[in-house]
Amino acid sequence: MDTRARASALLFSLAALLAGPAPAAEDVTLLKDLTSVIALLGMPCDRVVSARRQADNDHIASCKNGNRYRVFMNAEGRVVAQKQ
Amino acid sequence: MMPAVRTIGILSLALAAGCAGVREAPTSEMAQTVPLMVESPRVGPLEPVMTGDTAAGIEPVAGAPTPPSKSASAARAAPPPAKAPAKISASPVAVEQPRKNEVPPPVARPAEPPLDVAALKSRLRETSAIGVFTKLALKNQVDDLLEQFRAHHQSGQKSNVASLRQPYDMLVFKVLSLVQDSDPSLARTISGSREAIWAILADREKFNSVT
Repeated sequence: MDTRARASALLFSLAALLAGPAPAAEDVTLLKDLTSVIALLGMPCDRVVSARRQADNDHIASCKNGNRYRVFMNAEGRVVAQKQ
Repeated sequence: MMPAVRTIGILSLALAAGCAGVREAPTSEMAQTVPLMVESPRVGPLEPVMTGDTAAGIEPVAGAPTPPSKSASAARAAPPPAKAPAKISASPVAVEQPRKNEVPPPVARPAEPPLDVAALKSRLRETSAIGVFTKLALKNQVDDLLEQFRAHHQSGQKSNVASLRQPYDMLVFKVLSLVQDSDPSLARTISGSREAIWAILADREKFNSVT
């Protein structure tokens, strides 16, 4: 393998390494946001540990205490947390 | 072979520099908070000598024996011990001077800046401390509370506005809890303008002019 190929392979691996954390950070932001919303709406949820996107502004949030909520924006523009 | 090693070296240096850059952010925040803590003592007495005199000022008559710190500092300035009685007789004058200095600080306090509702609103909108969903939910709750105030003002009751104080305080606390960790400056601003905002909401004319 010549040096140019090695350098490009290294660059690709480095790019993959640096690009990796971005989606994770986005996930953390979303989980934090969903945790805040659920708490703000007075629902019991220690902390949102995972979330599944169903549509725009529509997520299923799983809490650390086992509760699951559908967090979405309804037709009136209100954010709702619906226990599943 | 050598260019590859050089490339690896440069890239690892860049990576290390990037990581080092990320860690600097919290320290700068710490640096911001430290001056705030340092500034607060400046509001009080200007010199540490005055604090010693304050203690002496509590006992004005027995001031001669009690200010050991002052006599100690005076002893440093004037080595001969024979002059100590003369200084005791002069001590009432020395005690009165710091009292004069203690009075001005309350007068020197600056007035609080007027509430800028528009700026506060835009800061809340733009802060990254609150996520999009949370901002929407907060807006819903703020709108609900404003609707309650509007209904109250339209009903013409004057005594009942105090009943809205609790929901108002709760909403402010919610906002503060969301903001205080990631945007402490905004949290301070909100906390500082709580009474001013209440004054606007509780007053019918001010409320109507703002909404």
